[in-house]
Amino acid sequence: MISTLLLIGILVAIFVGYNIGGATTGPAFGPAVGADAISKTMAGALMTIFFFVGAWTIGRRVVDTLGRDLVHDPGVFTLEASVAVLFFIGVALFVGNVFGVPASTSMTAVGSIAGLGLAAGELDWGVMGEIAIWWIVSPFIGFWVSLIIGRYFYAELNRRIAMERSEGPLFEIDRSGIVPTPGLSDTATVREAGGVVMVIVIGCLMAYSSGTSNIANAVAPLVGSGELEMNPAIIIGCLAVGIGTFTIARRTLETMGNELTELPLTAAIVTATVSATLVIFLSAIGIPASFVIIATMCIIGLGWGRATRPITVSEAVRGEESAPVSVGALSEDREGEELPPIGEEKEPERIPKASDLFDPATTARVVLMQNVVPAIATLGAYATFRFVPIFGI
Amino acid sequence: MVDDVLVPMDDSEMSERTLEYALEVFPDADVTVLHVVGEPSPMWGRATGLALADDLEEAADEHAKEVFERAREIAAEADGDVVLDTDVELGHPVRAIVRRAADYETVVIGSHGGSVADRIFVGNVAEKVFRRSPVPVVVVR
Repeated sequence: MISTLLLIGILVAIFVGYNIGGATTGPAFGPAVGADAISKTMAGALMTIFFFVGAWTIGRRVVDTLGRDLVHDPGVFTLEASVAVLFFIGVALFVGNVFGVPASTSMTAVGSIAGLGLAAGELDWGVMGEIAIWWIVSPFIGFWVSLIIGRYFYAELNRRIAMERSEGPLFEIDRSGIVPTPGLSDTATVREAGGVVMVIVIGCLMAYSSGTSNIANAVAPLVGSGELEMNPAIIIGCLAVGIGTFTIARRTLETMGNELTELPLTAAIVTATVSATLVIFLSAIGIPASFVIIATMCIIGLGWGRATRPITVSEAVRGEESAPVSVGALSEDREGEELPPIGEEKEPERIPKASDLFDPATTARVVLMQNVVPAIATLGAYATFRFVPIFGI
Repeated sequence: MVDDVLVPMDDSEMSERTLEYALEVFPDADVTVLHVVGEPSPMWGRATGLALADDLEEAADEHAKEVFERAREIAAEADGDVVLDTDVELGHPVRAIVRRAADYETVVIGSHGGSVADRIFVGNVAEKVFRRSPVPVVVVR
């Protein structure tokens, strides 16, 4: 007999999974749908399948971290506490979806559980520290890899990935034989087909990486509470994600100011590949990864690398060219801003430069703001579990 | 007598009203509409999208085209023979506007622009321009 409270817990977990499905289909398959490579239904189906594969294979390691390792005694996950933790995660997702402020679900989940562990005096600081260190290191890895790509390889990549879609369907079914075989239509080129296959494959990679890191956010508290076994939990979570991909994702694919679709296709592919790879790696070692922050740092790295490409490294080091860091920063002299290096102090002729786009203070603000929702969730969870005496801890 | 007026515009209704106001109050001045592209966005997609374009200026103009068309429509409605100057800048709106402001006698700006996300990631542009501008600023509410 399932208790009412467990049922509520499962329902909240389903709600979280549903929102994850809605929120992650856009970044994963936005470029493919935008390029008319697949339909929205197809995007939903691929998302669900690859999310499940990721969750089933690697995702359970993250569930273990969140549900068992992060707290000394998983007994703190009373059903009431689990529901409350899921509630915080759900609110973070909701805020992200409604206000267009991307918030890392994983960071929020870790924050809420850490708040719970802290309030109960059961937080494992070793595990928490390990997670936090990866949160700092992984965006930098993404940044540097993308920076190198943007600086040295982007132009070449861009030439190869030409996604000029020709008129007419890409594939057509050849029914002249006994078995209908799909083939390239007359209007499509092989290169074009290659590009289309690539965006779809990378969408699947993103879906897989999302499964590895996000399943824990929906089900870890319930698994930690011991009320739900790992495998049924993963299946329930994936079903909920699936429902999300076929319903609200249709809307988010269209309307959400999906940042990846504002990028040129090549850039979206690079960002998606680098960040998905990092997320999968982190999940494989049991670390809940923050896709939003990693992807943002990849985007910044790519753009910055590209914006600074005319300056060779040695010139930049000698300071002969105005360095890539913003010149506009001079006009303001805000507190806490670093002084510009020597050689950069003369304001050159006002030509719009790509480097104007990457002002360090503003960039820092954007990255900081992405941590606001998880930070609030952490404090909120701590305060709730510490001072509201209904959670049995 | 004010001769040169700078009107920073985004794609909001607020900035359309701002332009209307500027045309009404400074009917004899030369009005320059400034649009800033590649502003900070939640995942920095807009700025990077621009940075990755083959021709930065062309891409920037492309982004600004719609706003300028709307501005010209407003000018045409207000007074048949006003000729608007247009200008595109890159990067953070506050920095870009303050950078240009010195070339004008007055800045006329709307009190607020976009969404909650813009508020969080860009901040209140009018307020900061008002504080940092080298020339007088009219904030339209």
